[in-house]
Amino acid sequence: MPARVLATQEMKIASEDDVVLVRRAVRSLAERRGFDSFASAALTTAVTELGRNIWIHARHGAAIIEELEDGPRPGVRVEFKDQGPGIPDINWAMAGGNSTASSLGLGLSGTKRLVDDFQIQSEVGRGTSVRITKWKRF
Amino acid sequence: MQSGMIPILKVGGILLASIQTELNDTSAQAFQQDVLKAIERTRSRGLVIDITGLDMVDTFVARILTDSGRMAKLMGTETVLVGMRPEVAATLVRMGFSMQGVHTALNVDEGMALLATLRSSRDGE
Amino acid sequence: MTSPLEYMNRLGFTEQELSSRRTYFQLVDEDLARLSALRPFAERHNDAIVDAFYQELLLKHSESRLFFTDQATLQRAMAAQKRYFLELFSGVCDLAYLENRLRVGTTHQRIGVAPKWYLGAYAHYLRLISARLLAEQGYSAETQEKLRSIQKIIFFDMSIAIETYIAAGLDALARHQAAIRELSTPVIQLYERVLLLPLIGTIDTARAMQVMEKVLVRVAERQAKVIVLDIAGVPVVDTRVANHLLQTTEAVRLLGASTVLTGISPQVAQTMVQLGVDLSKMHTRASLEEGLELALSLTGRVIRAKEG
Repeated sequence: MPARVLATQEMKIASEDDVVLVRRAVRSLAERRGFDSFASAALTTAVTELGRNIWIHARHGAAIIEELEDGPRPGVRVEFKDQGPGIPDINWAMAGGNSTASSLGLGLSGTKRLVDDFQIQSEVGRGTSVRITKWKRF
Repeated sequence: MQSGMIPILKVGGILLASIQTELNDTSAQAFQQDVLKAIERTRSRGLVIDITGLDMVDTFVARILTDSGRMAKLMGTETVLVGMRPEVAATLVRMGFSMQGVHTALNVDEGMALLATLRSSRDGE
Repeated sequence: MTSPLEYMNRLGFTEQELSSRRTYFQLVDEDLARLSALRPFAERHNDAIVDAFYQELLLKHSESRLFFTDQATLQRAMAAQKRYFLELFSGVCDLAYLENRLRVGTTHQRIGVAPKWYLGAYAHYLRLISARLLAEQGYSAETQEKLRSIQKIIFFDMSIAIETYIAAGLDALARHQAAIRELSTPVIQLYERVLLLPLIGTIDTARAMQVMEKVLVRVAERQAKVIVLDIAGVPVVDTRVANHLLQTTEAVRLLGASTVLTGISPQVAQTMVQLGVDLSKMHTRASLEEGLELALSLTGRVIRAKEG
């Protein structure tokens, strides 16, 4: 059976303060569902990285926060959507460049390591969607 | 957030900056400005940045911290980062962010001691 | 101990879930009304049914009777059982009813009563009450409807009991796993501000992460300046394991402490160099003994033989 969605919350991202609000919402959700401090820090950081990407590259987007349950296991899924410029070469972006110029790349590949599931879709001129999921560890 | 949000104290010749609140990009950048101005003003040879109060450090803040250390060094000041929390350290290394070139110590006291060691070994050159 | 309310949250027993489950079990308001109307009937026969249930089944079976070792336990169980079965006819099936039923599953898991026992019990009870209903009210369309309502609520209850039993079991499993993790990562305080972690067994990614986290927490807790990681007991040290160790060392450095890696055999040294793993930033020593000496010296101490 696929995971159940217990609750959904959509938050806009149009400023850096919005990113902070999204991060706080995700953190409090993770803590409420009993995530340990390491998992919570990883998730919160991932959310901040992805939220910032929207703010910096697309200026406007949304974060959809879902509270999940897979049997007895709680999880958090966040989808970051924007209608920004899109990423021309996702593989290159994910390869994690070391240069400070490719801050977007570093954010994505590093973020992927912080979560259990990472899905990204992007089309130049249309926008980008990044969906991350993290489950509580037992 | 405007500058002056993070207090920077002079403690016996060393600058001590204690970051207690969560940082957003703007406040992080303001912090960097404040630190460099304080170094210029006080001519301190050492800077301790205490991040015991930070429960999250993302790549932007991490870069600000490491860059601040490099900038301070150019101005003749050694920097030590102290009090990083376990979950922050774990997250940074998992992301592959290495924070190379930054001195670290467990707490403010150790940070001060390390600065003294660095100063004496440098002065001996 | 987890409270029924916590289980309700964890198992997602919300109004929405309750409604969905009732629909699936086809337990509608008419059924509840019928059950409520049957309450006097249930009360009339309850004691006799539960007594028969124990005499014919629970106390006769060679295994199940072992649950009832003394009179006090037996009396308590029977009283609880009577209350339980009467509740089936309360005419109510809301979250409070659910919370009540949750206790059954959690209690069974806690005292070690496997599902087969209470599933068999439900079956037996259903048989007994059906027989009495038919005997009293005859075999009519109406009686059939009443029987169906009784069946529905009993099966509904079974689904709750089983799920909470499973959840309680998973809880116990999680606690055991946590205990195993604790035991397999024993961080020892060797001396003031010097920690030792002898790693034994294979290190996969999951364990490596758990080791790193435990190390960091302990270093922060004790404000340790040095941690000695001994890998003599790790059978395979390949690039992945080496990278995990590097990561842990870097994380420890971020906290402001240093790591000494010991127990490096010639084979491991060969492998590391051949694989191009850069351990130049780590302190390393072949034996634990040398590692300890280094760790102590890093904290300003030296081991000296006594005079004379």
